[in-house]
Amino acid sequence: MKQIISVKNLNFSYGETEILKKINLTINKGEIIGLIGENGAGKTTLLNILLGLLPSKNNVQVFGNRPGSLVARKKIGSMLQGDLVLSSVRVDEFLEEVAMQYSNSIPLEQILEQLDLKKHRHKFLKELSGGLMRRVTFAQAVLNNPDLIFLDEPTVGMDAQARHIFWELIEKLREQGKTMIITSHYLEEIQQVASRLIVLQKGKFIFQGTLKELQDRHKQTVITFTSEYEKCVFAELTGIINIEKNSSQVVIKTVDGDNTLKQLLSKYPDVSNIAVEHETLEKIFLQMTTDKEQQ
Amino acid sequence: MIKIMKQLKFDALRLVIRNKSFLFFTLLMPAGFYLLFTKVMVVGSNPEMHQFYMTYMGSMTIYSGVIGAIFGVATILKNDRDKGLILLLQMTPSGSKNYYISIYTITMLLNLCAVMVLGVLARIFNNIDLSLKQYFMILLIVLVGQVPMLLLGTMMSYFKTQETLSVACNLVVFPLSIVSGLWWPISTMPSWLQGIGKVMPTYFANNLLGKAMLHDQLDLEGFYGIITWIVLMGCMTILVIKIQQKKGLRNSEA
Repeated sequence: MKQIISVKNLNFSYGETEILKKINLTINKGEIIGLIGENGAGKTTLLNILLGLLPSKNNVQVFGNRPGSLVARKKIGSMLQGDLVLSSVRVDEFLEEVAMQYSNSIPLEQILEQLDLKKHRHKFLKELSGGLMRRVTFAQAVLNNPDLIFLDEPTVGMDAQARHIFWELIEKLREQGKTMIITSHYLEEIQQVASRLIVLQKGKFIFQGTLKELQDRHKQTVITFTSEYEKCVFAELTGIINIEKNSSQVVIKTVDGDNTLKQLLSKYPDVSNIAVEHETLEKIFLQMTTDKEQQ
Repeated sequence: MIKIMKQLKFDALRLVIRNKSFLFFTLLMPAGFYLLFTKVMVVGSNPEMHQFYMTYMGSMTIYSGVIGAIFGVATILKNDRDKGLILLLQMTPSGSKNYYISIYTITMLLNLCAVMVLGVLARIFNNIDLSLKQYFMILLIVLVGQVPMLLLGTMMSYFKTQETLSVACNLVVFPLSIVSGLWWPISTMPSWLQGIGKVMPTYFANNLLGKAMLHDQLDLEGFYGIITWIVLMGCMTILVIKIQQKKGLRNSEA
């Protein structure tokens, strides 16, 4: 597997304030990294270091070179927070300006077509809605057919339809083998596309792995069913951490979903309308960050 | 070269052709001042008035360059930096050098346009007839004379807010223009103020233009003065950029 990014023992401070602490990270070609963390956790700083916008020592390499090197700049596309709303510039003029900076850019017509921007091409940037402007910013990020794409809060301001189009495009880029690092507050969207999740809190990685690994580590399964038994009888099931009963509907939370379900079905044959749900990334994230805060 | 031309087209369209106020301040305002002052002020006999029409054309050309460099370049660079255009370009393989070349070139070209506009006005309204050689010398002086102002504009673009920049531009442009004798003759000022005015880069450029128009000659001493300012401003600009880069690192969002 070809290594795209290598970070070894990275520390970064603004004056006395430590922003990133002992960060180690390897990203291989084709991976989609979901970088999640609260505001101020250090996500944007990390992206800025990888883009070469903030200084780093020899412990950070992007495409085998220092961040911000010519090699890296040729192969990277980035959609940072905030849109570039230049006054008196039309959509196609802006995209042409960006495309001109690269020797390997995708034809403008193709990108306008793919992102459904053709009908807006002659509009001035300041006339666009927030969601449409985000789409233009995304077009600018992928114009150079990059191998590595940084997407910092890419769907902020997009309506549901625009978000749907956006994630479809991300899926296509994934199929093409592009490597991506995405930060987003819409965790349910990230969990759909990310091949690996990184949770950053107060400058430290508190988790690196797949969604399955994260769920296994913080596994909580919610089993909902209908039963006439008293709720206390279910307490004997393996792994139970919480039981709630409302008329005949019972909701149990367990850390050992498979075994709890097996026991439930074998011991209590009267249960019906069973629904099994894994804890969402959002809930796990909240739990993780709260736990760490308390520690 | 093709990239620079494309960058020039992009910037000229958004900053000049679609931005009439920029044209007004850099071209029309100095032209208006020229007509107003040369028609209102009486500075002596006919030959003296003729000299005044010539030298005031030079003064307004320099004034146009100061406005373009300070109000124009400083504001453009600040806006583009705040909006993220410069950062975006820095992240591309071409970097931001073509952008800077384009902004400086447009400002200088506009100043050359100011020479043409003022030349036409001077000919039509004040019967000033300059030779091709004189025009060539004027263009050369205008281009070299504007460099310190462009560097000053670049430094000023690092002011934190638009409001501060706007105040600073006014505080620089008008006193600088007055003290270096662009609005009215420096000889009318107190001697201590003349002492200050005579070391300003705008004074050197204005003086050079006056000699080129009146005596058809280039004054090397004036050029040395401008070159000293270019070196000084160049060093200060590098220093300001370095300080701002360090500050930027401290202030960047986590």
